[in-house]
Amino acid sequence: MSSTRRGNHHHHHQSPMASTLRPYLTCIRNTLDAAMCLQNFPCQEVERHNKPEVELKSSPELLLNPVLICRNEAEKCLIETSINSLRISLKVKQADELENILTKKFLRFLSMRAEAFQVLRRKPVQGYDISFLITNYHCEEMQKHKLIDFIDIDKEISELKMSVNTRGRLVATEFLKQFI
Amino acid sequence: MTCIERASPALNQILLKLYSAEKPMEIDHHLYEFGSAEYHILSEASDPRVAFLSISTAPLCPGVLATNELSSYTIEMIKALCPAVVEIAESRREGYQLTLKLNLTKIPRGKDYIKVIKEISTVHSVILSSQLKEILWNFNSDNAIKGMHKPIKLVYNPREPFFVIRQPQQIIAVFPIRFAEKSDVIISTAFFQELVDVGSSDRYAKAPPCSWSAIPPPELRGEAFEDLSTNGGFVSFDISSHHVDGKRLDKTVWNLLNFNAYVRYHVKITKGFIQRRMRKRLENLVEVLHHRESLEQDNEQITRHQGCSCTKRLVRSSKYSILKQRWGNLGRKLKRIHFRLKIQGFGRFRQRWLRLPKFSSREYTKLD
Repeated sequence: MSSTRRGNHHHHHQSPMASTLRPYLTCIRNTLDAAMCLQNFPCQEVERHNKPEVELKSSPELLLNPVLICRNEAEKCLIETSINSLRISLKVKQADELENILTKKFLRFLSMRAEAFQVLRRKPVQGYDISFLITNYHCEEMQKHKLIDFIDIDKEISELKMSVNTRGRLVATEFLKQFI
Repeated sequence: MTCIERASPALNQILLKLYSAEKPMEIDHHLYEFGSAEYHILSEASDPRVAFLSISTAPLCPGVLATNELSSYTIEMIKALCPAVVEIAESRREGYQLTLKLNLTKIPRGKDYIKVIKEISTVHSVILSSQLKEILWNFNSDNAIKGMHKPIKLVYNPREPFFVIRQPQQIIAVFPIRFAEKSDVIISTAFFQELVDVGSSDRYAKAPPCSWSAIPPPELRGEAFEDLSTNGGFVSFDISSHHVDGKRLDKTVWNLLNFNAYVRYHVKITKGFIQRRMRKRLENLVEVLHHRESLEQDNEQITRHQGCSCTKRLVRSSKYSILKQRWGNLGRKLKRIHFRLKIQGFGRFRQRWLRLPKFSSREYTKLD
């Protein structure tokens, strides 16, 4: 059974897109803050094994209700929690084709270097662009708020797109200058 | 960006080497370059004052010209390149369109020699520019059909032809864009949008207006299907008389010839740029996650404050684990030091007398 939360729309001077971003991120942050209460729990089925229960899903009593946070139809975040691990899957906004290829390139780039991050899953959950797997050991070794800040991928893609467009504009300017 | 420079870098390098050689040297080089250009440079040690440069290039417009010979206008333009140094040889080398005789002794001494040699290296761009100028100037009334002039297909790079359509008030240059990968198409399309946007601004009003469309423009209707099937759309430039006046003609012609190469170069560099940005961002993200120094500092700060018991337990457990790890490392180091000293019979002595006794209620040590 999953519960769905929707980001509230605030009536500000900002565009509708920008006005839903902050509540969306705040909602994710608060949910993660509550969900990242993980403890060590050895595997109940295999002796001397310790596995992330959220991946196995073999013991329902160890799993919590997954939470789906939707900003709109294109952007959502799924948080699945268990006693010793937490899985976060993100579907990132792709407004146009350029954002689409930049998102794919960037997330594939990160996923192929998942061992550098430890918390990154090599393959995203089906239907999502990127997934993280956080265990109780990560919570012990890393700072919780840093883990949460890491998850703001949207900003990365927007910055990348802006820099590509800025670069294209400079090159176009240089080309046209030759005619003057 | 060597494919867009007017001077051939390889030819420039060889001529500079020949000119600055201390001893007479023999050179017999064949060069093949972008734009189907072929060069042959010949210099003999017996006569170091003279070198022969032969050049051959594919026709810019295969259908228009009956032969592959260079026109008189082109020959005149080449002669204008450093007339003191460059002469047209009486007989050209077999397989080439033109052979030039270079009088190396007439190249000025001092810093000017670099400029002169660079100018000689632009011979291919001079040939192409003059051919395109002739095509644009030689207006043939037979080509006019109901006031519309038939598009002229120009081939600079074999796989990237482009079209020139002559109209009463202007000349339209249309570039069909094709890329092998989808991501290249998307990057180039974003670039074309910026190009159209910048071109329509007041600051660049003097530049030729450009436009992009996904479908072939009306001027190209009727052309061969393979020429009109693209995945990157069509870019058009409207060239007016202002852009071909005086010295601007050479620049305009060269820019048009190399537009495709320019776009491809931009796409290639942009992909590298994206890769570098991603790598740098990855390093920053890894640093954020694995910032151990700040973690230890935060732990120290926690001990100073009166926190709840669970926080104190967390601090104690982390200090305990650090101490345990350090003791483990020290113990292993000591063991290693012991094993390095190999004394005959010492091993048995160490096991018997140097081991720490284990006191246990269940076991007893047998006394000898």
